[in-house]
Amino acid sequence: MTRGVLLFCFDTEHTRYHKILEKCVHLIRKNIKLEITVVTDYATFKKTKPLGFINYKFIEPEPGNTKMNLSWNNKDRHMAYELSPYDTTLVMDIDYFCYTDNLLQFMDTGYDFLIPDQVHDLTQRNTFHQRVWSMIPMVWATVFVFRKTAKSKRIFDMIKYVKQHYQYFNQLYRIFAQNLRNDYVFAIALQQLNGFVGYDTFPFALSTLPPDCEIVKMTDDGIAWRYNDQINWIEQQDVHVLNKEVYNV
Amino acid sequence: MDIGSLKKQSDLSYSIAIAKRNALEKAQSRQIIVYNEHIFRADPQTICVARTLKETQDTFFILDTNNNPVEITDPGDFLSKLIERNQESLNSYHQMYKTFENKGD
Repeated sequence: MTRGVLLFCFDTEHTRYHKILEKCVHLIRKNIKLEITVVTDYATFKKTKPLGFINYKFIEPEPGNTKMNLSWNNKDRHMAYELSPYDTTLVMDIDYFCYTDNLLQFMDTGYDFLIPDQVHDLTQRNTFHQRVWSMIPMVWATVFVFRKTAKSKRIFDMIKYVKQHYQYFNQLYRIFAQNLRNDYVFAIALQQLNGFVGYDTFPFALSTLPPDCEIVKMTDDGIAWRYNDQINWIEQQDVHVLNKEVYNV
Repeated sequence: MDIGSLKKQSDLSYSIAIAKRNALEKAQSRQIIVYNEHIFRADPQTICVARTLKETQDTFFILDTNNNPVEITDPGDFLSKLIERNQESLNSYHQMYKTFENKGD
């Protein structure tokens, strides 16, 4: 049984995602210690510094999505099943930084597909109270684990279907955001496929720093951020950083 | 207390409250363990159930975090792993908590 981490990374004209990738890979190597495959395009690959033994899969990212009026290449996550060379795969956003090995144990469960449905705002503002922005409980496609089984294949087939007809589902579930968000695509697919009665999830909340938190320091142990003229710090805790300026730190 | 001191104390209390809440979240995340291909929370409830069932049965059934039933065939091993993870996470939380105690002085 092969196990590994699958990452998606595409630079845009505004954001140097490859710099974030470098930090992410470093922490995966240090704490998760699994083989890594990066799905990217050649332009991003050329700018990335040598990262040691990494598998690369080159694709052309599907264009057309935006986030806060900036181009955003996030439409390819539905191909994780086909692109992953592993029997069990941990898929992560590159802005999710693993300061612990907590995720590693989920590679050994009997579950076919696991995804978090809770989030913890590290600034305590309940920024991610997503229930008011749609009619569907959201999941966080930031981190998920799947095994290559018939059930997982069905989930990814459904994800593809939802993505293909996203405008319809977006209206159906009265989702406020008009752009394509994998969080909603995955949530809709899981709900539809599981007969609207729930699905298996990770039992932890995804610790997240909202986009208005400026990252002031990043080390191998933790991360410090400034919000509202105050600086706070966490260490030995996995964290999802939404401020993409993190690559400057 | 002048307004400057009040603001300073209030800001400090706020920072401590956030750090404490985040440390607790960190501890709770660390309490999650995978055993027999199922996911459990090494919290007091799970430990108490495991301990109680272990006293009367050589094997028992318990629900994982997604409410799926699991047969525990080695209760002693299961219980020791739960306790180990619970105490590891709380020890880390305790160390963090000690740093808060002196900050208001």
